[in-house]
Parts: sequence; structure tokens; C-alpha cells
Amino acid sequence: MLEIVLTREDANTEYALLAEWLVEDRAVVTAGQAVCVVETTKATVEVEAPGAGTIVQLYGEDVEVELGKTIAYVAESADELAAIDAKAEEKPAPKAAAGDRKATRKAAELAELHGIDLSTVEKRGFITEKDVEELIVAQKASAAPSQGPALAGVSTQGVSLPSTFELDGTSGALEPSYYEKLLREQDEFRALSPAEKVRTLREYGAVVGEDVELGEGSLVVAPRIVISDGVRLGPRTTIVCEEVFAVGSLSQFGADLELRCRRAYLGAGIWGGRSVRIGGGGHRDPWATLTVGDLAFVGDEAFVNVCRPVLIGREVFLTMRSLIVTHNIGHSVLEGFENRFAPVVLEDRSQVGLGAVLYAGARVGAEAIVASNSYVVGEIPAGSFAIGVPAKATGSSSHKLSDARRVDLARRFVDDLHELLALRGHDVSAIEDDGFEIEGTRVVFVQSYRGGVDAPAVVLALDVRGDVPEGVAVLDLLGRRVHGSGGVVVDSVREFCRKRGIKLEPGPWSYPGGLV
Amino acid sequence: MSTTAQKRGVQVLNETLHAIFAERDDVVLFGEDVLDPYGGAFKVTAGLSDAYPDRVLTTPISEASLFGVAAGMALRGQRPILEIMFGDFIALGLDQVVNGISKFREMYDDQVTVPLVVRAPMGGRRGYGPTHSQSLEKLLLGIPNICVVAASECHDVGALLTAAVDDERPVFFIENKLLYGRAIRRPEDGHIGELAVRESGDPYPVLTFSATDFTEGSATVVTYGGMLPVVLEAVTELVLEHEIFSEVVALSQLVPMELDAVLESVARTGALVTAEEGTLTGGFGAEIAARVQEAAWSDLRAPVRRVAARDGIIPSARPLEDDMLPSVDDVVKAITALDGVRS
Repeated sequence: MLEIVLTREDANTEYALLAEWLVEDRAVVTAGQAVCVVETTKATVEVEAPGAGTIVQLYGEDVEVELGKTIAYVAESADELAAIDAKAEEKPAPKAAAGDRKATRKAAELAELHGIDLSTVEKRGFITEKDVEELIVAQKASAAPSQGPALAGVSTQGVSLPSTFELDGTSGALEPSYYEKLLREQDEFRALSPAEKVRTLREYGAVVGEDVELGEGSLVVAPRIVISDGVRLGPRTTIVCEEVFAVGSLSQFGADLELRCRRAYLGAGIWGGRSVRIGGGGHRDPWATLTVGDLAFVGDEAFVNVCRPVLIGREVFLTMRSLIVTHNIGHSVLEGFENRFAPVVLEDRSQVGLGAVLYAGARVGAEAIVASNSYVVGEIPAGSFAIGVPAKATGSSSHKLSDARRVDLARRFVDDLHELLALRGHDVSAIEDDGFEIEGTRVVFVQSYRGGVDAPAVVLALDVRGDVPEGVAVLDLLGRRVHGSGGVVVDSVREFCRKRGIKLEPGPWSYPGGLV
Repeated sequence: MSTTAQKRGVQVLNETLHAIFAERDDVVLFGEDVLDPYGGAFKVTAGLSDAYPDRVLTTPISEASLFGVAAGMALRGQRPILEIMFGDFIALGLDQVVNGISKFREMYDDQVTVPLVVRAPMGGRRGYGPTHSQSLEKLLLGIPNICVVAASECHDVGALLTAAVDDERPVFFIENKLLYGRAIRRPEDGHIGELAVRESGDPYPVLTFSATDFTEGSATVVTYGGMLPVVLEAVTELVLEHEIFSEVVALSQLVPMELDAVLESVARTGALVTAEEGTLTGGFGAEIAARVQEAAWSDLRAPVRRVAARDGIIPSARPLEDDMLPSVDDVVKAITALDGVRS
């Protein structure tokens, strides 16, 4: 195998221009045949083949080549040619030179965050962050299926809407005259007893389920009202919706809920803390829709402004004092100040830390975590941990567990519960094989439940199959479901699990009190 | 010949000379070692003496006399093109320019013109040392009644040279040495690469570049010749890395100095950086800074900053030479040091 090397012609030159190949790549050349033209600043020279064979060109035309580099091989046999090809395949493709970059660093980072392929951007000139932002908005507008006015085109991707959102358009409709009366005479309704409130609402067309508690003074005013079984609203609740208020079963709010928006579709098993305020400026706007998915948690003193759609997914944690705003207020937009109205979306299982602020247009991806006191503008990618003002993703919100580690953690649950109960002063005795006994009930961990545990027992397991006999409750920790039933011990273990993020079906999820 | 559309500077200059010689009988070229087969130190005159043996003359090493001969030929109705092998040696001929060539037309009451072209390769970055690497354009800036034209790789180099030969004034035609080996990049659809480009002025146009199609920019950089690629690289880096958008004004006519395009750009951006390869003191940037602050004080939100070679001699060793001459990083720093440069 022969090499054609660019040799140094004068002391002052480090590069030469490989101007032109005089033969095709893979052409057969003879010794001394001119194969290419090279220009240095002082001369244009033809380079000759050092011997006969097949030429393999390593550079194109019109490229600067450092002197001393091999620009081509001449393979003297088929074997040599194959060897050259094999070697070439090992080499990674050269990276694009800096001069080929079109997108700014900010644009590239934003595009990566949103999975946008910048090569599809048709634009003359640089691609800037602003271009990518516009693209994101345009993509959302075109991608979002029409959801009617309620969602104003907001993408519901990653958001499990509550079943109340799918209610047919007439269920729970109040008699119009009574709705008018309710609007006018709110104090009179407030004065009714909880039972009278339920009865009155039902009488005039609202759907109100069993075991609904409309605590003293609570008031629900809407042309359509659907309140499912087991819903509890605190003492001074006020709910005023211009179109519909619908809430799934077992949801509850602490005292002094205030909820004002055009449409509220709340799911089942929502736990709302004290002094939650929903509404604020623009709550009667046509787009003022609130949806909250099943099992969401809304912490004490959380404030949710709804003048544009606010979509809160399933099992979202919106913790204490967190703040959602869908618009700002300030100086004139005509003087260059920002004037923003935009929805806020919290995808399923996302979490918002204490005191965090979600600014208009924020979207927190599924299972992402926003750290306390962070300020979210724009999107937080799914599965990320984001922190700061403004919040930026700094890592992942969870990490992968090995099976062994998971077993280890679950086993420790039982140990920790044992310790807690003992410290609480209960009579607890250790038993063999991962567990303890309290009030005559054994609490044990087994990795895979396949039956064979004698009643009375509470079993924590990672995998549950087979029948669960009378007197045994099996808590499927990964499937997040309780099989069988039990009394105070089961309630206590469930509460213990809930505080570790394991909310087991079926509800209710309110802790009636017990051992822990 | 290269099969690509983009030609190198040396190729454009060479083809233009052939075209000028074919077009005009009165054009004569002379200089040191310009004859074939050598064809000049940088091969700009390659093939010319073979094609026009009577009109291409090789000369002794005596620049002062070359200028004198050119002046005489021009006065007598010819169009001499004088090639100074290295621009550093224009100094030997400057007495002819300052006390003769630039003055004859007025001294003889407009009865004569001195239409000669002095082609002078300037610039460093090749390790040629203290006396073969300088950019001496600033020595010419204060000479009245001449024209100084500097080609850049984004200008129509051939049109500039043709206009210089057609010009009735004495013209210094500055060719940065790096231009010879670089591909000429002319605007296509109003763009060079990702930069929008406007061309204005005649016959030696100004190019104004913008990374945002002239919608936003927080600084203007004015430059010429061999510094243009350095400045474009700096401006591009600032866009890509920091989204700092600047405009670039590339002059081709340095004398007489016309700054309309610079003032228009500064009115948009509010700040100015000058960039030249010559030494700092009393240079291109100094003159522009003086003129711009006088004409557009209210447009400037920050003092004009100058990027230039350090006031010293150019070493032969490449690392030392690099340290001496203005770099991409120097331009980046000058822009980012301006008050109110936005990112």
C-alpha cells in the first residue's frame, strides 16, 4: 500500500489547498501519473501517484489540508484495498465543523429539551432561541386535538383527565330558576344544615351522591353540579362556577376552600388542604377551566389562578403555599411590558414543592419534581428534577431500583413500622421472618404473596397472586391495591404506607385514626 | 481548475488581470519577479507575461524608482499597474506619492491625471517576520487625493480591481496575503452563510452584515480586508454561544473615508468597535472613532473600542506573531466589554 502525502514546499506554509482531483476516486493509476492539484500560496503543483494501483482518496476537493497529511492511498492489490476499506469503517464520521453550525447554543438546548429536530427548521440565517420558542408554540397549536373551548387547545398529553370531564353535558343541571335564586340568595343557602343543603341541591336537579358532607356554610353555585359519593367539603367552603362544578368520589377539602372558575372538573380521591384558594383574576373568562386528576394532593394555602386552563394530572402533588398563575398584570403591553395569559399544566404524578410558583405557560412534565421555592417558566421535562429561579432541570426525579434494593426497602418498612408502634407505646412483639405482632394480628413482609399466611394478618408484598382468606389483608405495594379487609391495624399500615408515597386502592384515603 | 463555484482570491485576481489586459491596450503591469514561469511571488500575474510579453515588465529591486516610472507612464496616458511584492516596501516609494503622484493633478490645474494602481500585499499570520508582515494602510490614510481600496474575501474582488484600473485617481489596491488562498464568498440571496448582507456604494462598495436580518443588534464592528474573516468568526461565535447579535461593516474604500454605512449601522446598534490588522496608534480605528463620535455622538451609548495589532514589531515565530496580531478572541472581548451588549 502506498501513501500520497502532502509535503512541505516552503518553510512558511502549514496548509495547502487540495484544489482538484485529476482522477476519480477508486480509479486505477499508474506510477508518476498526476492525480491532483495542490495550491500553496506560492505555487500550484500537481501531485503524482507514487506507484501503480487503485487510488483511495481521503479528502474532497477545494479543502485545506495540513501539510504532512496523507491525502490518498494507492492500493496495489485487492487485499490492500479491502484492508483500507476495513480501516475506514472503524473511524467515526467526522463531526460537523463549527462553521456548519446554524443554531445557537440556547436554541439547541431548548430544541433538545423539547425533542425538536432543528434540521427540519426552514430558515435563512441563524436559528435562535426565539425561533425555537415560536416553533414550540406552533407545534402545540397544530398538535393539540380540538378539545372545545374548555381546554382552549391545550395539549392533554401526559394528563389523565378526571372522569367528571367526560360527563354528559346535562347531568346535574339545576333548574334555571333555582340557579338564579342561588346566585341571589347565597346567605339563605349557607344557613341550611348540611343535610338540607344536600337535599335541596338534589331537589333542584344537582347530582349529589351518598355520604356527601357539605359542611356548615359551604356553598356550591353552578348551573350544573355533580358531587360524587363520599365527597367532603369543609365548614366555610365557597364554590361558584359559571358553567359546571363536578367532583369525583371521596374527594375532600379542609376548611375554607374558595373555588371560583368557569368550569371545575375534579377527580376522585383528591385531598385538599386548608385554605386552598382557586380562582383569582379572570376566573369568569371563557377559558377559565380547572381539571384536577384523581388522587391529586393540593396542599394548605395553595393558590391556583384560573383565567386560562389549569390542568392538574393524576396523583399530582401541589404542596403547601404553591402558586399557579395563568396571567400577569402590569404596565402597558404597548410600552413593551409583558402581558401574558397562558395555561398551566401539571402532568400526571408531577410534584411541586413548598412555595413554588408556576408562571403562566408553565408545563411540568410527568413525574417531574419542582423543588421548593422554585419559579417555573416554560417547560420542565418529564421525569426531571428542576430547581431554581427560573427552575432548570438538574437531574432526574427518581432513580432506578434493583429488585434486591426494592425488597430491602420494603422489608425495612416493616421494621420501621415495628419501631414506630413500639415508640408509640403499643404492645408489639417481634416474630420470625420479617414481621411483628400487634393486637393479635401479625404484620409481615413477603416478597411474593401466594397465600399460606394464617389469619389474622396484614401482609405487605411486592407481588400478589392467589386467594386472600378471611381475616387477612394483603397490601400489594407495587400494584398499590389492598386485597381483603381489616380493621384498625390495616388502616394504620395503610396510613404508614401513604406517608411513604404509596396510596393504596380502594379509598377512602382519609385516616380515621388508629395506631400510628 | 477547481470544479467548485467558489474561487480563491488569487484566482479571481489573476483572471481579472487577464480580462483587463484583454479589454484595455493601455494597461501595463510591472514589478519584481512578475514574469512567467514564476508569475510573481503570489502567482497573481501567472500567465500574464506569456500572453502579453510587451506589457508585463520585470524590474530591479528599487521601489522608489518603480513608483517614479509608474507616475511617468500614467502622466503620459498609460494605465500602469505596479506590483509591490510585499506591501511593507511601499515606504520606499512614498516620497513619489506624497510629493508627486498625489499632487500632480492639482499642481497642473487638472490638465493631467495620474491613473496608476499600486497593488500591495499586506498582512501577517504567515510567519514572514517584521518586514514582510505589516499592514501599513494607515500610512496612506492621511494622503489627500489618492484612493486606497482594500479587497476582502466577501467583496467582488475582480470588480474592485477593474474599478481601480478605470479610476482616474492614483489607487492603492491592498491585497491581504491570506486573501490569495481563501475562497471568495459572495452574497447569495442577500446572505453569506447565515449572515444577511447588504451591499452599498460604488465603485468600491461597503458590505454590511447582520445575524438577524437587521432586526436587532447591540454593536457594530467596522473593519476591512484581511480582518473581515476574523471579525465574522468572532461575531458568529457570539451569536452561537451567547445570542449576542452584532452588525459588521466591511469597507473596501479606506481613502477617501466614507462612513455612511457605519453611521447607519451605529444608529441601529448604538455602539462601535473598529478592527484592523495594523498597529493601534494613529490607525484606521482612530480615524473612524474620531469621525463617528463627531457625527453620531447621540447614537453612541458607549465609547468606541479599537481592536488592532499591538504597537510593536511582528515577530517571525508564529506563536509570538499570533500574540501580536488581533485575534477572534480580541474582537469577542471588545464587543462583550461594551456597555449594554445584550445576550
